[in-house]
Amino acid sequence: MRNFLGRLKKYSKVSYFSFWFLIIFYLVSFFADILIPYHFDYQFRDKPYHPPSKIHFIDTEGRFHIKPFVYETFVDDPIFRTYKENYSVRYPIKFLVDGPERNVFFIFKTKKYLFGVDAPAGIFLFGTDTYGRDIFSRLLYGSRISLSISIIGVLISFVLGMITGGFAGYFGGITDQVLMRIVEILMVFPSFYLMLSLRAMFPLNLSSIQVYFLIVMILSLIGWAGLARIIRGMVLSIKEEDYVLAARSLGLSHWRILVFHILPNTFSYTITAITISVPGYIIGESALSLLGLGIQEPYPSWGNILSSTVGNIRVISDAPWLLLAGAFIFIILINFNILGDALRNVLDPKNW
Amino acid sequence: MYLTRKTGEMEKILEIKNLYVGRIDGTKILPVLNNIELSIYKGELFCLVGESGSGKTTLALSIIRLLPKSFRILSGEIILCNKKITGISEELIRGLRGKLVSMIFQDPGAYLDPLFNIDTHLRESFHGNPVEFNQLKIKVITEVGLSPEILSVYPHQLSGGQQQRVLIAMALINNPSIIIADEPTTALDVLTTKQIIKLLDQIRIKHNPGMLFITHDLNLALSTGTRIGIMYRGCIVEIFKPNKEKPLHPYTKILMGYSEENHSDISDTTLMDTKQETDEKCIFFERCPEKKPLCNRKVDFIWRDETTGIRCIKYGQNSQM
Amino acid sequence: MKKLILKRVLQIIPLLIGMSFVSFIIIQSSPGDYFAQMKMNPEISPSTIEQMRTSFGLDKPIMIQYLMWLKNMCKLDFGISFAYHIPVKTLIKFRIKNTLCLAVFSIFLSWLIAIPIAVIAGYKEGSWFDKFFSLLAYISISLPSFFVALLFVYFISKTAVLPLGGTRSIFDINAGSFEIFKDYLKHLLVPGIVLCFVNIGGLFRLMKNNFVEIFNTPYILAAWARGVPARSIIFKHTLRNALNPMFTILGMEIGSILNGAALTEIICGWPGMGSLILEAVLSHDLYLVMGSLIISGFLLIVGNLIGDILLAFFDPRIRIS
Repeated sequence: MRNFLGRLKKYSKVSYFSFWFLIIFYLVSFFADILIPYHFDYQFRDKPYHPPSKIHFIDTEGRFHIKPFVYETFVDDPIFRTYKENYSVRYPIKFLVDGPERNVFFIFKTKKYLFGVDAPAGIFLFGTDTYGRDIFSRLLYGSRISLSISIIGVLISFVLGMITGGFAGYFGGITDQVLMRIVEILMVFPSFYLMLSLRAMFPLNLSSIQVYFLIVMILSLIGWAGLARIIRGMVLSIKEEDYVLAARSLGLSHWRILVFHILPNTFSYTITAITISVPGYIIGESALSLLGLGIQEPYPSWGNILSSTVGNIRVISDAPWLLLAGAFIFIILINFNILGDALRNVLDPKNW
Repeated sequence: MYLTRKTGEMEKILEIKNLYVGRIDGTKILPVLNNIELSIYKGELFCLVGESGSGKTTLALSIIRLLPKSFRILSGEIILCNKKITGISEELIRGLRGKLVSMIFQDPGAYLDPLFNIDTHLRESFHGNPVEFNQLKIKVITEVGLSPEILSVYPHQLSGGQQQRVLIAMALINNPSIIIADEPTTALDVLTTKQIIKLLDQIRIKHNPGMLFITHDLNLALSTGTRIGIMYRGCIVEIFKPNKEKPLHPYTKILMGYSEENHSDISDTTLMDTKQETDEKCIFFERCPEKKPLCNRKVDFIWRDETTGIRCIKYGQNSQM
Repeated sequence: MKKLILKRVLQIIPLLIGMSFVSFIIIQSSPGDYFAQMKMNPEISPSTIEQMRTSFGLDKPIMIQYLMWLKNMCKLDFGISFAYHIPVKTLIKFRIKNTLCLAVFSIFLSWLIAIPIAVIAGYKEGSWFDKFFSLLAYISISLPSFFVALLFVYFISKTAVLPLGGTRSIFDINAGSFEIFKDYLKHLLVPGIVLCFVNIGGLFRLMKNNFVEIFNTPYILAAWARGVPARSIIFKHTLRNALNPMFTILGMEIGSILNGAALTEIICGWPGMGSLILEAVLSHDLYLVMGSLIISGFLLIVGNLIGDILLAFFDPRIRIS
């Protein structure tokens, strides 16, 4: 592992940074429960489409405060939804503030939040949505859903791809023909259309858990075909290698040869392939949720935070901070792309 | 066979003086060619023999100034037909390529653009008046033993031998003063090799260009070359005439089977490493069976006469004094 | 060449059968009897339902049902839309034109921009120009199409420089056809640019890699050695060879364009296949979903076919074998 990180760092500093960035981001999203200032579904009824809160260090009289603070805001123009700050009271940002009780990790209940300000003021780092919910909290919480879907989805299609690709490549003949025709037919459809069609097989109003697993299934069903084809190609070439022929002449079972001698050798490639394909899953989940076919309210995901903007120019124009979810997706994707490119070089035995 | 071969009228068409070429690796410069001394006369077939990695191709590419990006000519002079080509601009050298000097390559298939037919290849190679081209192309293509129908054919439709003949035709079309052939037969089978060698020999006798023939096959060199240069780790260690005198350099003797290699001092690193430490001792020091204490210093190439020379303290001094 | 095309066309047939099979399975395994749902809808006459029942053989065994589905598919008869009460074929015919216009426009635009930049970046590999555009390409491939589309919508909402949504804003019957065309093009611009923006990065990277790879091939070295002018080497030899794999990419690109186009269409309000299938899914209009799915798969197949034919046309190694 250290060896790997060293090589990554040597290959490019940027990819090394991307690697750690993604690790940290995944950790943050995993611990989103603890880090958020508000529960993802807590609504400030009187503050819809509130712009990102201004964090002040200097008050109206020009005095500097070490502790950053916010002012309470009130609706200035209800038609254009503009807000004004009430300069009379300062609300400093505090750590471990009390709030409504909530569940953390489904394990324990707490009233404490990592940071926040006293009521009635609110701290909205990224603004609020239609219902006055804090977008920062929803984004962090949503990243857990979006990122976990992509990881689970990619692992499932990886296993499916390993099995089919391995069998097709190793046994060849009719097995290969049948499996590869199936793969080809799946790949004939543009993935977006196939995704929507598969979604159409199921009712629109499913529970959140059901939708979660449905999306995972749909994404992995679409994604495994490409992986299977690539693994098949690799198995085809590896099975002609001398050590596999030697294993066969020793009388090892096909199963043993395939699982212990061939598939592990495709590993460095598949790690790269997984890294490269994660972005596709993230986009797939976001697209489905964006169109209202994925994760349902009140649960947040990167896609459905954006969904209120689709086909609604006024919302986009008035509350552009809703698009921050898109920026999150972009940042994650660019890091995956950088890392994927680096892994392609670093994990390639030819470059060792 | 040897009798038909004349050394020519001793007109020097290529002269390389004390050439150093290096490869840039980060901030370091690794030496690739060291202290190269070489001259080629009109009408002769000079064979350059060496192991792979000894720098033969690098030498050939420096002559036409087409070294890969990371390679640099560090010092020394290359004089082609009385024109100094080291240090002149890319524009000027471009006009000389194909005209004064042309090159034939190892794996002929890889050196022909798959998208263009033979006629286009020949047309591009020709630097003269386009009006003459139509007659000339037939003449050249028949001279290399191909039928004119081949002109409309694409490279992938030809056999390896035919592809090599096309490359020769392209090299020949401007009637250059020197033709560099970089292992032109390595990718071919035995029979085709013989035909191609014969063809090159015919061309040399008919058009009288100088030929630099690069090969790793010493026997082939001995049977065809008028002079032979032996390369070892980026240096020319000996230049001799195969039918006139016996080679003297210990390395050449080992190659020809006259003597046994000295294995005792060879560590893995000396076999594996790049060309280095040449300033400190003779490059052949570790493997040399005849080494003496005085070999433990820098040795330069010494011309014994106009056409032969050696890079060895023992024999270099012997013949000069 | 004709034989090659015929062979490729014949290879499509099993794919089409597979496609029909997949869509049949999806329809069959969907829970609930849709005709029951239709019967409850007072707007649909019982005769329409009966007509569809017989045409899809829903009262017959499952194998017969599949064969009838296949037969209907060959006639491009995908049944009647539950939501619109008109044949699916008619709906698709209206929408597919817009999607194709969008795809062709954005492919054309992205090739027009990406190829020249990639050639310059490839020629000057490692320069600031190359680094700058490589960075832009990274950004482009990491931007989801829906995010770019949303950003553009935001931009348009602030500036209103271009019309958004629909295909026309002139509804005057007396408007000339050129006026209408110009209006259509104006509406095409926003989704077209969005799609171009998303695809251009991948295109640039592929083309640059191809160019660099070809530029380092032996046949380009040989061309330099023959004294072929630089312009000819870059534009004739390297560019044409580097473009060849791009034709295969063009075929595959249709798939990613269709995916990106679907989301772009939905967000920019462009009435194409993507927004059609979304509407169909949202209103649970299963036959319309299947029709769109099959047509999108068919477009992908046709795209690949066009790519293959173009490749065969430009590459003699495939054309003449």
